Amino acid sequence: MSDVDATIRKVLETHGRLPVSASALKDDDDLYQSGLSSHASVNVMLALEDAFDVEFPDALLRKGTFQSVAAIREALESLGVVVGPG
Amino acid sequence: MKILVGIDVQPIDEVEASMSEFGSRYTRRLFTDHELQSCGENPRTAASGLAGRFAAKEAVLKILDLQGTIPSWKEIEVRRTEGGRPEIVLSGGAADLARRQGVEQMSLSLSHGGGIATAAVVAQLAQRPTGTSQ
Repeated sequence: MSDVDATIRKVLETHGRLPVSASALKDDDDLYQSGLSSHASVNVMLALEDAFDVEFPDALLRKGTFQSVAAIREALESLGVVVGPG
Repeated sequence: MKILVGIDVQPIDEVEASMSEFGSRYTRRLFTDHELQSCGENPRTAASGLAGRFAAKEAVLKILDLQGTIPSWKEIEVRRTEGGRPEIVLSGGAADLARRQGVEQMSLSLSHGGGIATAAVVAQLAQRPTGTSQ
């Protein structure tokens, strides 16, 4: 698991209010199906901004951006975060 | 006449925790100046009002046919009429979605209790959505 993936899962663990452990989620598991609420996704977004020193533009404030660990990683990559090998 | 109903709940303590952790980055991302002013500056009482407004935004999103796009949170605004009743005011992409869907009018009710804020929205739709040819 890359450092980026580990940080995403840590943010999900602390801010996602998920009923399951974020470490148990597969990359493509649907976070909303796993219990992520819209309000919690806002907290996840703000915590990701802090963790990676980025700002999510309005264009990325879509449900799909936070649909899965893989989708979050892709969004972070589009913001310039370098994702190393897993 | 076609009617659609959207309803949502929001735990107030979650909003209070977000305000405490992220401050204005959180509130400015979700709420308009009017909404923030309406709810006051006391964090405890503001959290209750803002939780209701967040629930209202979610309730509206349940009514709109999003087609993969979620409007900005601030494009769905809760305003108070002079008489004190809450009302939904849409702008930007949210207003476009509602217009295309034929939403003519929305009615909002807010309630708080037991640590939960609740919003119910009823939308009245035109018989034929705007932009359709039949």
